[in-house]
Amino acid sequence: MDALQQILSPGFLLRNSVYTSVLVGFACPLVGVFLVMRRLVFMGVALPQISSTGVAVALSLPLWLGFRLADHGTHSAHELAFVGSITFSLAAILVLAFMERRGSGQPEGRLGTAYVVAAALGILLLSQNPYGEIGWLDMMKGEVIAIHDSDLILTAATLSLVLATLGLFHKELLLVSFDREMASILGKNVVFWDVLLYLLIGLTVSMAVLSVGPLIAFGFLLIPALTAHLHARTMRQFTALASLVGGAAAFLGFWIAYRWDLPVGPTDVVLLGVLYAAAWVAAKLLPGGSRRLHKA
Amino acid sequence: MDRAHIILDNLSIGYNGQPVLSGISLTIPRASFTAILGANGSGKSTLLKTVLGLLPPLAGRIDTASATFGYVPQAIQFDPIYLLTGFEVALMGVYGRVRPGRFVPQAERAFTRECLRAVGAEEFARGRFAELSGGQKQRVLIARALATRPDVLVLDEPTAGVDITATHAVLDFISQIIEERSITVLFVTHDVGLVRDHAQKVIWLQRGKVLQGTAEELLTPERITEILEMGVG
Repeated sequence: MDALQQILSPGFLLRNSVYTSVLVGFACPLVGVFLVMRRLVFMGVALPQISSTGVAVALSLPLWLGFRLADHGTHSAHELAFVGSITFSLAAILVLAFMERRGSGQPEGRLGTAYVVAAALGILLLSQNPYGEIGWLDMMKGEVIAIHDSDLILTAATLSLVLATLGLFHKELLLVSFDREMASILGKNVVFWDVLLYLLIGLTVSMAVLSVGPLIAFGFLLIPALTAHLHARTMRQFTALASLVGGAAAFLGFWIAYRWDLPVGPTDVVLLGVLYAAAWVAAKLLPGGSRRLHKA
Repeated sequence: MDRAHIILDNLSIGYNGQPVLSGISLTIPRASFTAILGANGSGKSTLLKTVLGLLPPLAGRIDTASATFGYVPQAIQFDPIYLLTGFEVALMGVYGRVRPGRFVPQAERAFTRECLRAVGAEEFARGRFAELSGGQKQRVLIARALATRPDVLVLDEPTAGVDITATHAVLDFISQIIEERSITVLFVTHDVGLVRDHAQKVIWLQRGKVLQGTAEELLTPERITEILEMGVG
């Protein structure tokens, strides 16, 4: 309980890390719900990895341009990483979505190839950059430690924008996801709403990757949504429960990691896995559970 | 009844520049019940999607007189992962009249309930759409199409996976709304019996040709034998 009191204390040294983890935990499942409903789980795996490659490219830029990363300072490096992450995320999601719509080839194969090439490219780039490698490895491990006030504000602002847009246009995004033909017949611009949804996913993934790393971003994108789907009865419950599971796991994960001196990100993901397994067993035991499991 | 509602003039339809059917010229009268009949791959769905504006025609002209379409797709095409109630699915029919970012007004919700009541779906519409029977889903989808306040109701094999009692109930209801609301109904099916019982006009797609006439004119025993030999679906 001593560790919990410390974390909840306003003067806690790592309070920005707690806030960032919880923000990412609450926000990622909100877009993750759409990835799960559109059966784009593989995209949820590939995107964070591609986003982290964007970070690798961005962190390599100073070296290619003949600067030392230290000359720019930590904030500049973070901004550079943000630009790299968001550029790669958005470009990748738009290209993958376009190929998905054309429906040719094997979508799983494309996403698997994108994932593995992005991971390899990131390692190659940063193996040549000692400054970038340090930050990137921290990010890969999900070390949510040194987060400045400005980074926290940027994260909060970005995720608030995503949340507000999702809330405002939920009915259009749901209609286009559920029944594209009906949306077209009703005069909705299906391509516009698809692009908006993909932009929101890309923005959230970029922010999550920068804050907690690709592995943890993937965990928060999909596991809370899959967990919530086992027990929710309505779309409203599905979205709210997924967000609650993500936020609660982020806070509990931080507490466990701080109490037993573990890396935060992997602790969060393992905790999410445990919650998913518990929810699955509960769904199996509850009346009508087998039907729910079958439908998911 | 005799006034043309939809006119196809020398129309060529298909995908990616490849025509499936060419030289289609036909008229669909206002407030009529028209069935589209044809074998697998004959172009029924392509024709339907072109009329609905989902596919651009490759050549020719299509005049729908600025009609508002209510579309009833096959119920099996919906992914059960969506946790939507029957009411929420039917409510989507009014989204075309609600601006993005706005809540659905109470009046539109009431109208959706009215449409559900009209098709006898009000009771089970509170249940999850994915868990409804085939006939119940079909009624919800018809209610959704009616909620668009359509001039033309387009149904793509609405009786697929639906038991015979529910099939007749659905078809009787559609015949009834043609009279009550002067709606034009365009109906794709492979069920010759249903076409004979309900359709006033038949469009028959056969080996790249489009025939049209009344059920009595087109559904002769010889033609039906031919259909069965071709494998209708």
